[in-house]
Amino acid sequence: MSATSPGLHLSSTGSYPRVGDTAELQVLRRTIAALDRGERTTADILDAENEMTRRAIADQVKAGLDIVTDGQIRWYDPISHFAAKLDNVQIKGLLRFLDTNFYFRQPVVTGKPARRGTFVVNEYSFARNALGHLPTPHDKAGKLAIKPVLTGPYTLAKCSLSEPSGNGSGESATSLEGRALAYAEALAAEIAALAQTGAELIQVDEPAVIKYPEDWAIFERALAPLTAARDKVASAGRKLELALYVYFHDCAPLYEKLVALPVDIVGLDFTYNPELADQIAAEGSPKPLGLGLVDARNTRLEDPEVIAWQIERLLPKLKGERAYVGPSAGLEYLPRDRAFAKLELLSKVRDAIKGTKRAAS
Amino acid sequence: MSREKLEQLGLKLPLFPTTSVGSFPKPDYLVKARGEFNKHKISESQLRELERKATAFWIETQEKLGIDVLVDGEMYRGDMVAYFAERMPGFTEGGLVRSYGNRYYHKPVISGEVEWPGPVTVDWWKYAQSLTKKPVKGMLTGAYTIMDWSFNEHYSDRRSTAMALAAVIRKEVEALIAAGCKIIQIDEPALSVRPEELPIAIEAMDATAKGLDAYFVTHACYGAFEYIYPGMLDLAVDNFDLEMSNSDLHLLELFRSHPFTKDISFGVVDVHTHALEDKDAVRRRVEQALTILPKEQIWVDPDCGLKTRTVEEAIDKLRLCVAAAKAFRN
Repeated sequence: MSATSPGLHLSSTGSYPRVGDTAELQVLRRTIAALDRGERTTADILDAENEMTRRAIADQVKAGLDIVTDGQIRWYDPISHFAAKLDNVQIKGLLRFLDTNFYFRQPVVTGKPARRGTFVVNEYSFARNALGHLPTPHDKAGKLAIKPVLTGPYTLAKCSLSEPSGNGSGESATSLEGRALAYAEALAAEIAALAQTGAELIQVDEPAVIKYPEDWAIFERALAPLTAARDKVASAGRKLELALYVYFHDCAPLYEKLVALPVDIVGLDFTYNPELADQIAAEGSPKPLGLGLVDARNTRLEDPEVIAWQIERLLPKLKGERAYVGPSAGLEYLPRDRAFAKLELLSKVRDAIKGTKRAAS
Repeated sequence: MSREKLEQLGLKLPLFPTTSVGSFPKPDYLVKARGEFNKHKISESQLRELERKATAFWIETQEKLGIDVLVDGEMYRGDMVAYFAERMPGFTEGGLVRSYGNRYYHKPVISGEVEWPGPVTVDWWKYAQSLTKKPVKGMLTGAYTIMDWSFNEHYSDRRSTAMALAAVIRKEVEALIAAGCKIIQIDEPALSVRPEELPIAIEAMDATAKGLDAYFVTHACYGAFEYIYPGMLDLAVDNFDLEMSNSDLHLLELFRSHPFTKDISFGVVDVHTHALEDKDAVRRRVEQALTILPKEQIWVDPDCGLKTRTVEEAIDKLRLCVAAAKAFRN
């Protein structure tokens, strides 16, 4: 592919199922259940998480992806995985995550959220190491990359509540914007730490903003510390790109605003509006896009030829003819066998594009 | 008015009728039996016998507590969508999908034309109703929610999926009515997840219930109702069963902005906490309801199904509902 479409990358969009149907793919689920019964320790959980993380990475590589993630195997959910690591935040009851039938634990901010350590740096280091231990496919030498994923400050804030403790420490975090800015500060430090560890591409997920566009100004202000952190890394001579991903709602109405943001890549979910591709084909994009053309919420497998056709007409319209083709969202909303089939589909799409190029030449 | 409809159906209910949302906790012997059945250690008839025993227990318990409109407690069900999907041609069992934390479920897949397999819930309703003279609700899951909580590999889009399911659920509604059921609850907990799809949910409920001779209730919970109110009042039901207490009654503010035109089953106890609310706090919730809604429109029940509580906790919470309703009747 690199000879024909050097800017086309097959990319994960984040999560991957933590369990499958066979006993060996149930190791994490069973170990957690055994821990609850007092029959295992947290060290056993770590072992099981490590094993399932390695498997998630191996599946992505086997399917032919260029940019993989750790599958977010260790995440209880996309919200509390971050908020629980902050001081002055309590993790409370279950709430539905956006329009899914998946539930997250809601953080309640009682004071200014304060960072007491890293969020995903250790997970990223482990994953990078795990990727390094896998045999590299012959056509991927020097091209495989792993990206860490962060939930963005606005989505974290929108999914949280504030209950000031009354001692005055929470004054700034009582509003949605206060929470978003406090989370942003913590995430900006994480971006610096990830860059220090070697990350060159970081995905920031902000699904809530396309569902609640009335909060756009707050979202934009909360994004600023993250892009500033990237700029600081870049000014020190390191390569670092931020990819902002949105999903679980129609993003077409906000398309122009999204691609004008000071991020390097914008990842879009194409499954909520069949006209989004037409819009991009007509308007083009001033930056590379993540093309979420494979439905991460339904088991039906798409026709690779149709997706290949979409990519062929969109790619020339994107800045640098660079695109990251992947699922419309993380894959953990699908059963594991279907999640893998969706990844394999990406390779079939690439093959279909290669075939067209060969035929044309 | 819905009260007139109830009377036309021959149902004489007191003011502030008490009811339940649907599920009750399964007694320990039934939980154990379900596990043994899954491991093929007991037969289906042995499991059914224990489900009937547990159903009889809950009917008797509700009668003793003085509940007005009873439910069978769903002793025979696991998941509210999978229960129907497992019995409906057109569905296949999907692989495991996470619902939260370390909880997973087999999410159904619509892989062909959905069809009504014949009565699914009618025998259970008949059995429960045979144990009491009080009305027992028929309990179904709505087409929109079944669509939203299933994978779809057959229909072209979400609307056509919901409409195909609505045609099937309507047959079950007709079968319940033919059996003598007069109050039918059609749950739509997914109602508010995509506010832009409210017209689909309304169209599907029309196709399920409109023109049929019963008093219809729908239950919705965990919802972002601010995005679908007052449009949701167009749903073809007589009564909305809503989770009010868990959200600190914030829905009442919405009802101030636009009158609530249907009956309401007003959740007065939180089902997500083991703690039993203070009797006065529950009474105050009804008082709050009365600041917005006429007394003739208000039913009293818990926020949601009680299946995640212990048997004792569930009974205590139901007792609180009855006490609150009785206090206002007097």
